[in-house]
Amino acid sequence: MRHLSQATRELLRAHGPRYNSPRYDRRQILGLAGAAAAAAALRFDVAPAQAQGEPVKLGVVAIRAGIAAPVGAAGLRATEWWAERVNKAGGILGRPVQLVVEEESNPKDTVERYRKLVLQDKVEAVLGGISTGVTLALGPVAEDLATPWLSWDGTTQKGVEETMPNPKWAFKSVDNEVEAIVAGILTPKYFKGIKTVAGIGNDYSYGHDCWQSYQAVLKRYVPDVKFVLELFPKLGVTDFTSHIAAIQQSKADLLMCSFWSGDATIIMKQAAAVGLFKTMKGVFTTAGGVHDSLKKEFTPEGLLLGYNTMYFDDPKGGPLLKQFVREYKAKHNEYPPYECDHAFFNAESYKAAVEKAARGGRQWPEKAAVVKALEGLEVESLSGRRSWREDHVQMCNFYQGITTHKNSYDFVTISPVEVVSTKQAMKPAGAKLFDWINGWKI
Amino acid sequence: MTGRLLVAAAAAAIAVAPLVASTYHVLLMLPFMAYAVVLLGLNLLFGYAGLVSFGHALFIGIGAYTGAFLTSHCKIRSLEVILIAAAALGALVAAPVGALCVRYVKIYFGMLTLAFGMVFHTFVLKFYRLTGGDEGTPFLRPSLLGRSLEAMPKIDYLVGPYYYYSLAVLVLATLCMWRIVHSPFGLCLKTIRDNPAKAETLGIGVTRYRFHAFVISAVYAAVGGALLGPPIGNVDPTLAYWTHSGNIVFMTLLGGFTSFFGPVVGAFVFIYLQHWVMSVVPYWRLIFGAILAAIVIFAPGGLLGLLEPRRAAVRL
Repeated sequence: MRHLSQATRELLRAHGPRYNSPRYDRRQILGLAGAAAAAAALRFDVAPAQAQGEPVKLGVVAIRAGIAAPVGAAGLRATEWWAERVNKAGGILGRPVQLVVEEESNPKDTVERYRKLVLQDKVEAVLGGISTGVTLALGPVAEDLATPWLSWDGTTQKGVEETMPNPKWAFKSVDNEVEAIVAGILTPKYFKGIKTVAGIGNDYSYGHDCWQSYQAVLKRYVPDVKFVLELFPKLGVTDFTSHIAAIQQSKADLLMCSFWSGDATIIMKQAAAVGLFKTMKGVFTTAGGVHDSLKKEFTPEGLLLGYNTMYFDDPKGGPLLKQFVREYKAKHNEYPPYECDHAFFNAESYKAAVEKAARGGRQWPEKAAVVKALEGLEVESLSGRRSWREDHVQMCNFYQGITTHKNSYDFVTISPVEVVSTKQAMKPAGAKLFDWINGWKI
Repeated sequence: MTGRLLVAAAAAAIAVAPLVASTYHVLLMLPFMAYAVVLLGLNLLFGYAGLVSFGHALFIGIGAYTGAFLTSHCKIRSLEVILIAAAALGALVAAPVGALCVRYVKIYFGMLTLAFGMVFHTFVLKFYRLTGGDEGTPFLRPSLLGRSLEAMPKIDYLVGPYYYYSLAVLVLATLCMWRIVHSPFGLCLKTIRDNPAKAETLGIGVTRYRFHAFVISAVYAAVGGALLGPPIGNVDPTLAYWTHSGNIVFMTLLGGFTSFFGPVVGAFVFIYLQHWVMSVVPYWRLIFGAILAAIVIFAPGGLLGLLEPRRAAVRL
């Protein structure tokens, strides 16, 4: 779907040659492109086929159905917000941004949609990708098609191992297990004297990897800790009665849960019904993704709750975050989750890379030059300064903290807010995760 | 005669597509050709034997995972070896599954095949070390007729040699299936479909014939599954999920299970319709659901049935 916001449409109308103008047919545009190519040949790093003022097409792949649809919607909304903002400010190098949105579904169909964006829609870059099951397939396709791909939340990890250590065109999200590592670091700080831990996560790689990583980290801080129970219900399960009974039966001091979607809310409700957290501490590494559904009536104070890379109510948040949260709430009647930050960062860093590669000029740079400019680039995102590591992995902060009812919302927030950088909580490029964790000096 | 001309024209169009069509549309032809192979087999069961399988994604998965496993873990890149291995493994798994399933008909057959399909899906999801779990297994670029073609850009490989290789497999599969359905075996299947009791009294081993049809259709599905893998590059459990089985039944209904080429047409229309509708509206599943309902109610003979309304509904 050609997904144009009102502001984008207006800007597209204001800039010629117009995208939908009947005065230009395909042949004429190709002719113009040919002329531009001849002119641009004077500089080797300038893309030949881009006329100034012509919209720059950016592809977006977003999940739009199923359990992860709210996550995809959040990323798409943030990208649209970014595009409107950029277009109001005059576009990128004078060219308005036009988003071309396709659905992220299963790997097979998403690979086909991705190829459509690049080969058919001729986008300059593709943004998005959430499920690692899908982005593992997209990574090699991005390399084949020689077009920058900036993934919101998907990696090219197989388990906790990187499968594409030296990509040229693929830019990937933070390692999947980082939030579990952050939680492992913070657990002994807030829950002293923990001796036994039970774990529950979804029955797929993310759930298993988070649990393994959390155990490895906690073991470093609390060597005599015992892991007494591990449960892996299927993603999408809505009845946790038996799981909660098993958790109660284990008499663990603490429950670690890596649920990230509606199941986090459901287990919280069902746990509240039997008073689970009256006798047990709780760590929810990723439930901040559904934060405004964690109502005070069933979510107790005192849990460790992770918000991934953006905490919407960060007291130290900058004016960009505050403006985004205000406008997002006004438009969508909810508070933005972390996926917005990944999406905004990807789009904003792409814009910054184009401008950097243009070296102050107005000529549109080659895709390869944009990729070069992205490496190591740092920009202001919703959550603050974020950057790309040299091996094309996102660097950012993770936000976790202790749940509190002391706020003006009907759901829990966190206080104090702990901010842990990926410099501390993500394995360095080329490192093996568990060797790296075991090598920590504590 | 007109039919033969149409088939020849379609074959010629497919053959020249890489020369005239856009790269993206040529790439879309790859899953079409893979599904066409799958559906030729599925329709032997559905259209000719009268058994609707809701678990054929099991065999697509077997074909795709065979290729992924051989290329990723065994360093076997030959597509000829992969296709033969996929066919053999498809037959091997189909034998016990088919032996149990073909004892039942109608909804019981459908439910049993669905159950076996989901057993396989759970297997590939759970046996992480062997299958890669939800993350799947890479299907590395296979060599074709002994030529590695590794140096060629992937897109050039797919729209060039791999395209024509897939086309050759499709043509071969079509000719074989044509022979099968026009053989005494095919005639017996039709008799069984129309009146199993009468077929039994004529001395036709109903269960045995259904079993053979099941195994042949599984072999076709496995070969088609192996062809699906290289364009994706990564094989994952969604290929073996029940919704995928549903999709191929939908393709068969869309094109028309009452005609030999109906399912092939269904695969083509499904893929290009999906390509178009997905880009236009996010609620494409709703539209596909409505199309399915419309076909079942107003055009049970599928698209090819619409083209020849005067002929009997079941003409196989």
